[in-house]
Amino acid sequence: MSIEEFNDAIKNKLFGDYELKEDVDHYGNSNSWIVLHDKRDMEVVAKAVKSFKGRCVVATGYLNEMDGTHTVIYHFDINGMIMNAQINTNDKTVISITPILRSADWAERELREMYDVEPVGHPTKDRLFLDYSIAKGVLNEYISLSKIQMGVSDTDVLWSQVNKGVKV
Amino acid sequence: MSEVVPKLFRINTGSCNGCDVEFMPTILVEKFGVSTLGVEMVEDIKDANIIAITGPLTARSESFLKSAVGKIRHPYVVVGVGTCAVTCGIFRDSYAINGPTDKIVDVNVNVAGCPPRPQSIAEGIAKGIKVLNQVMNGEDIPKTIDTIFKDFSAPESFRGRMDLNPDMCTACRTCETVCPSTAIKITEIAQGHVHNIWHNSCCYCGNCAYFCPTGAIFSTNSFDTVKLQSEKFEDVNSEIIKPSDCSSCGDSYMPPSRGLLGKGYVHDDVKKLDTTICSKCRKEANFKRMYA
Amino acid sequence: MSEKIEIGPFHTELEESVYFKLEVDEHRMVEKVEIINGFIHRGMESLVTKKNFMQNLILTERVCSLCSNNHPMTYAMAVEKISGITIPLRAEALRVVADEVKRVASDMFNLSMLTHIAHTHELMKDTMNTREHMQDLKEVIWGNRMDMSSNLLTGTKYDLDDRKVKIILDTLDTVEPKIRDLKERYENDEELKTKTVGVGVLPLEDALEIGVTGPVARGSGINNDVRVMAPYGLYAYRPELQPNVTLSLRKEGDVHARAMARFGDILEAVRIIRDVVADMPEGDTYVDKRPHIPAGEAVVRTEAPRGELIYYLKTDGSQKPVRMRWKVPTFTNWEALKVMILGDKVDNVTMILNSIDPCISCTDR
Repeated sequence: MSIEEFNDAIKNKLFGDYELKEDVDHYGNSNSWIVLHDKRDMEVVAKAVKSFKGRCVVATGYLNEMDGTHTVIYHFDINGMIMNAQINTNDKTVISITPILRSADWAERELREMYDVEPVGHPTKDRLFLDYSIAKGVLNEYISLSKIQMGVSDTDVLWSQVNKGVKV
Repeated sequence: MSEVVPKLFRINTGSCNGCDVEFMPTILVEKFGVSTLGVEMVEDIKDANIIAITGPLTARSESFLKSAVGKIRHPYVVVGVGTCAVTCGIFRDSYAINGPTDKIVDVNVNVAGCPPRPQSIAEGIAKGIKVLNQVMNGEDIPKTIDTIFKDFSAPESFRGRMDLNPDMCTACRTCETVCPSTAIKITEIAQGHVHNIWHNSCCYCGNCAYFCPTGAIFSTNSFDTVKLQSEKFEDVNSEIIKPSDCSSCGDSYMPPSRGLLGKGYVHDDVKKLDTTICSKCRKEANFKRMYA
Repeated sequence: MSEKIEIGPFHTELEESVYFKLEVDEHRMVEKVEIINGFIHRGMESLVTKKNFMQNLILTERVCSLCSNNHPMTYAMAVEKISGITIPLRAEALRVVADEVKRVASDMFNLSMLTHIAHTHELMKDTMNTREHMQDLKEVIWGNRMDMSSNLLTGTKYDLDDRKVKIILDTLDTVEPKIRDLKERYENDEELKTKTVGVGVLPLEDALEIGVTGPVARGSGINNDVRVMAPYGLYAYRPELQPNVTLSLRKEGDVHARAMARFGDILEAVRIIRDVVADMPEGDTYVDKRPHIPAGEAVVRTEAPRGELIYYLKTDGSQKPVRMRWKVPTFTNWEALKVMILGDKVDNVTMILNSIDPCISCTDR
């Protein structure tokens, strides 16, 4: 499997522009990146991954604080090669690729609860890890709202008790 | 006086599994001596009178812990196993952490460690049994209980309780910076600096000792971390770091470590730098050296 | 007539908290399975962005204490990739030694839990006691029975001298014959076989579709060991070190096959440790204690005792990561549980769960 082969499989099917770069680490392992300018194109990439018998390893999301958009990177594995496909979303939605690649299931559910980015078309609605006592999108804030409301950190509270007992 | 049959049940409230994994050999391996305590492991929390709790109490565990504890018949004792159970340790201040466990359960014995050695966990259980017997017989619980298992030793290399040599410490705060579980606090006072190491918040990783530029902070192989709840905030290693008097102007100042000087004076041989003068006098000396 | 059964979240046979809601038929066969996770969710992906790179060496170790060497190692590899640092060969060797020692201890813990749950007491006791030698070894060389604190950005904190190498070799000499003996007994013990053969089967097709990794994959006949598929560290520089995975491969896909796959992994790990310490590269053990970390992003992966571990790291040149995310083996192996449990006896549920060697703290984070 090479990045060229993969490129041939997707290049005529994409809606938008894209950038491709190959990165080989000093151990000789290939690690390719595709930046897609149209987020609908993730479906095309997912279908290509499936046709090569690859899998979705995991997906990473993060908030871009400058403009409030979210970046989502899907990490795929095709026969030992890691392929990272990146999209941007400004309306907190992406098209779910779980119907195409079952292995993306949990990763997309985490995207929903941690960043409040909805994978549209995902088969499951239940929370995965985040307890219902915590609002979804918790990783969008540097400090969670519930902790801000407390005013002081648990560390401060505990250490103030320690300091009471310390004799100087 | 009557002796109770200790019946043990373990609850994991969100630990990294270290304490739970170590709990198994503690119970199952002969050499750790738990069998000598006559402990019985029970399948149902309703039958238990000693509850071992691990983990920092995650949001999702909280309601389940409350309902589990509600089922236990009095009297019972709670042994917090691992630094997380005692103070949430390294996970403290995360949005998903509602602990430490003593916010919702009355804890009797704390076993700090990350994870504690099986010997410490066994000691925690032994002290728990002692407290349980005292409660059953209506006795007052003492402020401390002496170590029950006497014959334990740890290898020299074991990372146990941290200690500080105040003469070598320069209050540079490297240890405070690299400590992942906020177990070290350095505060400025009139006489210098206070350096506190709180063993119940320590995750015994040795980061502080490894990165310390002067070797002032170091780990001992003591695993005497099994304490009663009343000692929770008192198990602190506290030292005063006194400043020196400048050999030039006589003002009091904190001498820098050679390691730190090396970062600042990359082109000089650090060994030759005069460390007996304060930073103000050093600036003057440097200025003269370069421009006079 | 179906019956609803709940297991967990606090249960003596569950090492970590998880909650099963099952529906069983009149023969106590599982018809429906719902698994509730999140009991060990500690918000770690948020915590790592609040701690600096030095603190994160230890925080990543506390993701899970059974694979507690792989996490900081993989995290360090990501930092090194962003910084463009090639670590000394000696450090690569030291990382492999620490990693394989952990693998032996971790796999042996899983096996002792299997025999504990199967009530094959003698096997459990002997497995647990054999594992104790590895625990003692970790305490003597690294200072703790679970968390070795061996990794440093750009290398390792620890080094080995002749005395320590001898301690390691002596331990392996004691342990290896015991492991070989245990392997024979696990293979042939009638009681254990009755309880584990044909139980919790994961057919090859399902295993491929779900994308399982590690001993779970090897138990169903798939070899996707990262040390072989995408070798890193010393496994890349010295290919002869890579595990001979055929020794671990099994076709049956049941609880027994997964246990035997682990024996293959353990014996190869013992062989790897011996090979590495027999020919330790000379040189430094790290490049820079506190390296400067520029802005960048990297994806790296390693083979943890349970399978593929992958780290994504994004930095901006400051003292803390901007984003760090990791995928652990159990994250994908978990889906296979449903295939294994459905249609099996409800009394086997905890044993089947144990057979994927679940690391829930890794998964929930």
